[in-house]
Amino acid sequence: MAIKFPSDEWIKELSVKLNVSESYAKAAATWEGDNIFVVLPDADYADTTYLYINLQHGKASDARKLNSLDEQKALFTTSAPFNTWRRVLEGRLDPIQGMFSGKLKLIGSMAQVQRTPKATYEMVKVAAQIDTDFGS
Amino acid sequence: MNGYLGKILRVDLNQSRLWDEALNEDYARNYVGGSGLAARYLYEMLETSTDPLGPENPLFFLTGPLVGTSMTSAGRYSVCARSPLTGIWGEANSGGFFGPELRYAGYDGVLITGRAVQPIWLSIIDGQAALHAAGDMWGSDIYTTQTRLREALGDSKVRVACIGLAGENKVKLAGIANDHGRFAARTGLGAVMGSKNLKAIAARGTGKVPLYAPEEFRTTTNQILALYKDDFPAQSLRAYGTAGYVNLSHMLGDLPIRYFQLGEYAPADDLSGVDLSEKYLTRNTACHKCVIACGRQTQSPTYNDSKVDGPEYETVGALGSLLMIFNLEAVIHAGHLCNLYGLDIISMGVTLGLACELFERGLLTSADTGGLEIRYGDAEVVFHLIELTARREGFGAVLAEGNAALAESAGVPELSATVNRLEVPMHDPRAYLGMAVTYALSPRGACHMQGDMFNLDLGQSNHEDVGLEPGDRHDNTFEKGRTAARLQAWRNLYNSLTLCQFENPGVQPLLAVINTATGWGLEAEDLMTLGKRIVNIKRLVNFKLGLTRANDRLPDLLLKPLKEGGSAGYLPDMPTLLAGAYTEFGWDAESGRPLEDLHLVP
Repeated sequence: MAIKFPSDEWIKELSVKLNVSESYAKAAATWEGDNIFVVLPDADYADTTYLYINLQHGKASDARKLNSLDEQKALFTTSAPFNTWRRVLEGRLDPIQGMFSGKLKLIGSMAQVQRTPKATYEMVKVAAQIDTDFGS
Repeated sequence: MNGYLGKILRVDLNQSRLWDEALNEDYARNYVGGSGLAARYLYEMLETSTDPLGPENPLFFLTGPLVGTSMTSAGRYSVCARSPLTGIWGEANSGGFFGPELRYAGYDGVLITGRAVQPIWLSIIDGQAALHAAGDMWGSDIYTTQTRLREALGDSKVRVACIGLAGENKVKLAGIANDHGRFAARTGLGAVMGSKNLKAIAARGTGKVPLYAPEEFRTTTNQILALYKDDFPAQSLRAYGTAGYVNLSHMLGDLPIRYFQLGEYAPADDLSGVDLSEKYLTRNTACHKCVIACGRQTQSPTYNDSKVDGPEYETVGALGSLLMIFNLEAVIHAGHLCNLYGLDIISMGVTLGLACELFERGLLTSADTGGLEIRYGDAEVVFHLIELTARREGFGAVLAEGNAALAESAGVPELSATVNRLEVPMHDPRAYLGMAVTYALSPRGACHMQGDMFNLDLGQSNHEDVGLEPGDRHDNTFEKGRTAARLQAWRNLYNSLTLCQFENPGVQPLLAVINTATGWGLEAEDLMTLGKRIVNIKRLVNFKLGLTRANDRLPDLLLKPLKEGGSAGYLPDMPTLLAGAYTEFGWDAESGRPLEDLHLVP
């Protein structure tokens, strides 16, 4: 059954899938940093939603939906409107292209992202494997 | 004439004669400035008989209408002539402060013909130009030359464009340096300067660029500045320089490794621009009015280098991964040697890469190289060969002729990594198939500055209102060819304005800047028309010099699929891509000649 995006259930499923992905573990072996994905409202989504996940050395933990940005500090915050996230998760927007074009707004350690770009790609690949319900 | 000083300094070195000439206003209106305007002028002056290293080859330094204004990153200048390396249109562009200073001194450009009897240098100070004997400055490295000219003129604010030993020795890989270690590097124009016995041009001025609507211009440039506060590419360039792209490039299969024959190799990640900044960066450097400051000043303690300009991404590729050297300090040092001697790092690296490959295949032996074993990964040999090349000594005299000549002399032209004899830069056209069009059609031979499809398809430099939108980098279609052609036109406009390609504020802000500077009243579509006209005039220069449609091709080496990495198995479909580009430019499918009335206006 498809999992609604964005939701607490969805980010927990991402954590589960990342932890069984060998390619992600290899690509993100040196990655250190937790993330908050901010889903902003647009024509198809009315709320602002915060999804937190801790990523360390190729493993994920502590995945959950936050009530606000005050609830948890993170090394990275990536923000985009709902439909931009949808395009990324459906493989229609390359995540690095999204960052360079400003469609995905990243705040955090650029060194980490630029040194290990494959970690970002592999994470998105894994996320794309989730049977996701975008609500339309 | 708003946006222009309205004057070209003419220099005839045969007669030691200097005079002012009015800028052709119609040419400027139709070809803007920089390399576009130079092409319009040189179209009349270049013939098939023009010897690139003969006194008759005109050498043109030109700025554009935004240079020296408050527009950010518009401090560039172009140098153009017939290239001694390629025999076709030669063009090199550089940032820094020399271009703006030339305008403050009262000139849009300097057009030099003839050959001085003895080595000389040219000073241009507030509208007064003079020739001076170079004396023992001939033989100096580029840094010493710049310092000595500032001392000679008694002004620390003098800006200098000069050649090093390589230019003096007419090495075909020689560039022209300015503002410490910035370079108008490509197509061997340092050798043209050397052939004229011209060591340097020193400029200093207190003038201003006349603008059509100064207040509106300043408002617009301030608005553009504000755009860069949160801009991801700008932040990345500021933090890690152009070399910040190394790891991503490696992942995508864009970083050439082992002379373009490996698509992935784990140690290449050791050349990270992040590591470069964290371990070896001493400070950022910036060009005129630039808020990005992508320039690097670094050190390499192992080699006792305390103040090195660079390395850029291109340096890390050409003197690093291409040669299987994965030690950043060695790359910094090799880049520094190229800077000192005034060598084009891309051409030097790609020529050295071929030497390594020939040695590996037994097509070159130590009997050919004066006893040297030229192996991949041997940094010490690379250092030695750079010096030999600049001096044209021993095997360096062979390398000084460039990659294509080396491949021909070894009897394996198919191993050359050049397009129209210019060495391929560090962006693999198998990683971004649009780059195949850029390289094949670039007016100066393989060049990443004539259409940066890698940036466009990464999500940078997209300008939707002129049809430039990022796409799939491995899209192998007619439309991709059209997009690459549009980007080539767009970047040729940039090289004529003359504006840095990291400056991408969008079409409307750019239009506002041009119109408030010049009063031209252009619309968005006019920008693309100007860009295409500039591409066309350069193509007509090249056709005049003997190029044909058959020259629109990639080297065989880059038409073999990579076996590993992010671009494994991909090859550009050249007929389809080129058909798209020809259609976009309005060129005849059979002859490749421009058909539309976009050239030779007026």
